[in-house]
Formats: sequence, C-alpha cells, structure tokens
Amino acid sequence: MAIKETIQGLLIYAAMAGYLLAFVVMLSRQRKMGRILFLAGFLVGCAALAYRWIDVRHIPLQNLFEVFLTLGILAYPISIFCNRVLRIGGVAADMLIGFIVLFPAGFVFNAEPQQLPPALQSWLFGPHVLVYMLSYILMTKAAVQAVVQWTGREMTGELLAHEEATYRMVCAGFPLLTLGLVLGSIWGQNAWGDWWGWDPKELWSLASWLVYVGYFHFRYMFGKKFSRINSLWAVVGLIVIIITLLWVNLSRLFPGLHSYAM
Amino acid sequence: MTSEAGLKNKIKRLVLWAGLLVILLLTGFSIYGAFRGAESAKGFFNSVPLSVYWLVFAILLISAIALFRRLLCFRGLFLIHLGCIVILAGGIIGSQAGFKIQDKLSGTDTIRSGQMIINEGTTERAVEFGDGVIKMLPFAVKLVDFRIEYYQPGQLIIRTPNGEGFKIPAQPGQKYVLGMDSTPSTSSGQASSPQADLGSVEIVRQFENFKLKREGNKRVAIEDINGGPNPALELLWKNSDGSEKTRYVFERFPGHSNPDDNLQFSYHRSVKDFLSDVEVVKDNKIVMRKNIEVNKPLHYGGYLFYQQGYDSDAGRYTILGVTSDKGLGIVFLGYILLCAGVFWHFWLRHIFGDREMED
Repeated sequence: MAIKETIQGLLIYAAMAGYLLAFVVMLSRQRKMGRILFLAGFLVGCAALAYRWIDVRHIPLQNLFEVFLTLGILAYPISIFCNRVLRIGGVAADMLIGFIVLFPAGFVFNAEPQQLPPALQSWLFGPHVLVYMLSYILMTKAAVQAVVQWTGREMTGELLAHEEATYRMVCAGFPLLTLGLVLGSIWGQNAWGDWWGWDPKELWSLASWLVYVGYFHFRYMFGKKFSRINSLWAVVGLIVIIITLLWVNLSRLFPGLHSYAM
Repeated sequence: MTSEAGLKNKIKRLVLWAGLLVILLLTGFSIYGAFRGAESAKGFFNSVPLSVYWLVFAILLISAIALFRRLLCFRGLFLIHLGCIVILAGGIIGSQAGFKIQDKLSGTDTIRSGQMIINEGTTERAVEFGDGVIKMLPFAVKLVDFRIEYYQPGQLIIRTPNGEGFKIPAQPGQKYVLGMDSTPSTSSGQASSPQADLGSVEIVRQFENFKLKREGNKRVAIEDINGGPNPALELLWKNSDGSEKTRYVFERFPGHSNPDDNLQFSYHRSVKDFLSDVEVVKDNKIVMRKNIEVNKPLHYGGYLFYQQGYDSDAGRYTILGVTSDKGLGIVFLGYILLCAGVFWHFWLRHIFGDREMED
C-alpha cells in the first residue's frame, strides 16, 4: 500500500473523500447534503478518469488501477438510475461502494501508465470491459440488497422490498454480463483464433454468469418461498465476480491469456 | 386426462431440477477447469464424460422448450434457450470430437487448428500441430513482408545501486538530469524524491541496427542498413564529478553494464503491432491479399489465419495460427439469439410496455 503523490492520486483521494463524507452525512440523515457530496465525489472522479485518459491516450480500462478507477465513477450514475428508475434504495451503500472500489485505485494498484499491447488494440476493448464494469456494479448492488434482506430490515416508502430489489438489480445486470461474455468471445476469436480458449478468466466469467442463471431458475422454481436462498445466489454471484476480477489476475494460480490486465 | 396432466407436471418438475443440476455442474466444472489451466481444461471439457454432459445439456434445453409453454409465450426466454442450444450445436460441430465424426462421415481430413511458420518471401502450405503432425492446406500462403511496429519513443531505463529506477523517453538530442527531469519508477509506480547527485544523461543517437566499424585505429558505431536488427542507444553520461562517458545500450541485452559504472542502463521498446503482409495462392494464382494483424485475421477457404507470433530475434518469419471456421457461424448466430433474448426479456419488453404473459 502506497500513497500516490501525483495529481492523479490527489484527484482520486478527493473523490474518495467526497464519497466517504457523503456516506457519513447520509447516516446522520442529512440526505440532501449527502447527495451533493456524492455528486461532488463523482465529478472529481470524472476529472481523475479524464486526466488518466489524456495521460495514457487510450480508454483507461487496461489494468486493475484503471478498472477500479472506472468502477468508482460508475457507482454514482448507476445509483441514481437505480433509485429513480428502478425504485431501489441503498444510496448510502452506493456511496460506500464507490469509496471501497476507489480505495485500491488510490492505494494499492500500480498507476504507472502502460502502452496498449497489440491484443488490446481492438474496437471490442472498450465495450467488452465497460459492460462488465457496469454489470459488476449492478451485481454488487444486488448483493448489498440481498445482505440487507438477511438482516431483516424492511424498506420504507415507495422503494421496493429487498428481495424484489435484488431480483431487479440482477435483471438489470444480467444482460450486460451476458454481453460482456459474448463480446469477449468474439474478441478472442479475432485475437487468438478461438471463440472459447478455456482460459481461467473465461472459465471464471462463465461461472459467474452461470450462478445468475442458476438464480433465475431457482427463483422461477420456488418463487419467494425460500427468499433467503434466492438472495444467497446473488451473494455467491458477487463472490465469484470478485474472484474473476481480482484473484484470477493477481494470483499465480491462474496463468492465462488475460495476465496483462494487472 | 388428469393423470396425463399430472405426469406432464412431474416431467416438467424433473426437467427443472435437472436443469438446475446441469447449471450447478457446469459452474463447478468451470471452476475446476480454471484451476487446471487452459490446456488441461480444454482436454477436460472435450473428454468423453463431458461430451455426454454437453449432449444431456442440449437435450434438456430442447425438452424445456417443448414442455414449458412459458418459454414459447415469452419471446425473450425462448430466444435465450434457443440461443444456448445453437451455441452448444456450434460448439459440438467445432469440437475435437465433432471434427473426428465429420471427417469420418465425409471421408475428409480437415485441419482443426495448428500453426504455420512462414519466412519472408516464401510460400507455405504446411500446418503444424502441437504434437508435430503436419497437414497440408488446399492452397498456399505467401509471406510478402513482415514488420514490427514499436511505440515511439522507446524508453531508456536506468537503475541505481540502491534499486531506484528512472524511465526516460529515448529521443536523440534530449538531455536529462537524473532525478529532476526523469520519471522515477518504483515497483508501485509512485513518485519518489529527486536525487541531484546522479549526474545527467544525453541521448546522442538511436540505432535500428547497431554495428561497430573500424576506421583506422578507432572503432566507430554505425547504423548498418543491411542485416538483422540490433536496436541500441548511444548515451553521453555526465557524472556528478563532471567526467563524461559514452555508453551504448542494447535492447537485446537489458541491464548490461560496464563494471565501473554505478548505474545500469536498459533500452526498451514496446511492440505496438506486428503485421504479416500475405498473399493466398491457389492454382498458381493470387486469390487474396491481406495484412494480417493481431485482431485482424485472414478468413479464406474455411480457415482463419491469425497473427500468433513472430521471429523475435530478427523479425524474418511470422507465426500464423490456423483454425477451421466450422461451427463458428452457428456459434455467432447463437450469440445473436442469446443477446437478443436476454436484452428483450430483461430490459426492452419493460421499456416498450410489452408485458407479454406476465404472471
């Protein structure tokens, strides 16, 4: 863990501070101020992302530093979308999610700019990674709703109950997860001559997709009879996503074609 | 009639449970395969027991469409399941077992996947497999030209005795005071405090093919336009005590240093792209020309040729991966169906207000 004494680093820390303050303020029931701080954190995060984009001269989704920076920024628009369109609560949790995903970008991952290797110079690079990032944030929110359901807290007002909210979030994220898998496969065909290479990253991605397929089937079979088990699928899904995103890239257990994404 | 309906319900229940089991099994297999690594996982997923599994999976999907009215009434759900069946069909057709069966039935000997090594200016038909077996393509591929493109400028990397590193853009004519103008590079990519006592480095010349030539009693560095590449930099290193030294840094010998020096120099260029300019020759006629690049394969005669590697020493030959396109179109059709179904069912039908048979 190291502090980044650069403009890039300072922008990330400012965005993190915005998210964390927003979360604390939300907990003290000053919702309006919390939302303003959340927006401020997002705007500073956008500046950090733009700075990175200009610095590396390609869409900043190449390595874990850039991916986590992007994830931190996506937390805000997805939160607003879910709250206003899907009637799903948990805005305070979204602020915390934003802070948590920015933390490794700020303190853990190497920020040294890298040039794109030939394999990443494809029109599929941006869409493939971006749809995955969007789906990951949505699935994270689904898992948060699932965990809150386990605590037995009821949702008030016009917002959806936690089990239903989990389902809605998975419904929102699943098409993106599918698209990410399909785009990756098409890209693999172009770059490596095979639409499925049985690479560890591919297999973990398939496993995460299958967990949500299992969730849908289980929920169809039993409805809300075992609502806690329904939610367990969503939590397991997030665990598999975390493994796909982090463990596969960082561990030497899984050498493969995606090893550049560190 | 009632007992018939009861039986149907029992079968539906059985198919649902079997479906869930198949999904859980594939999740487990995927995780197991990930731990085994790509090559081993490929063998595992193409093994006889797994072939049976894939077949059962496909049959279950077909049974689900036949049994569940819901799947026929909800366009999205129907497309999702149909897409999965089509992908599985494409996968089976393009699999090792699928190839063997097709070759037996048709009496052909198709090349599933392998690689070609082609020297610049030569024509090749032979495709080599991992186990040393060679098969011939029904046409030939000529490598007209092969080239490697690098990101400009390259980088001069300097390491100090205490392990600190500096990365400097390798641009001739540029002078850098170490620790002041240069970018410190540590393992974490963090900035470190400048050190002014390391002197300065000036990049004098950049060579694509460095050679030494004797001129009288002296040996001078020249750019040799003939022969293989030997990228190098000529540096003028001004030490903190004011003394000047000329140093040559070679890309092929990273970290090579003079025993008297307290700094270690390396020259690195990142590959931007590598391209094979090829011609497809059939019956002594050129039928196709293409620049094969990473992400831009050549598609001809039922085969895909993609840029897999190259001669990293001299850049004189290319390595092309060759794969058959059998089943590929079917898989991609399955992808279209799957994506159309998923987006329609989960997103679009809600946006367009078509609730179909919402229960």
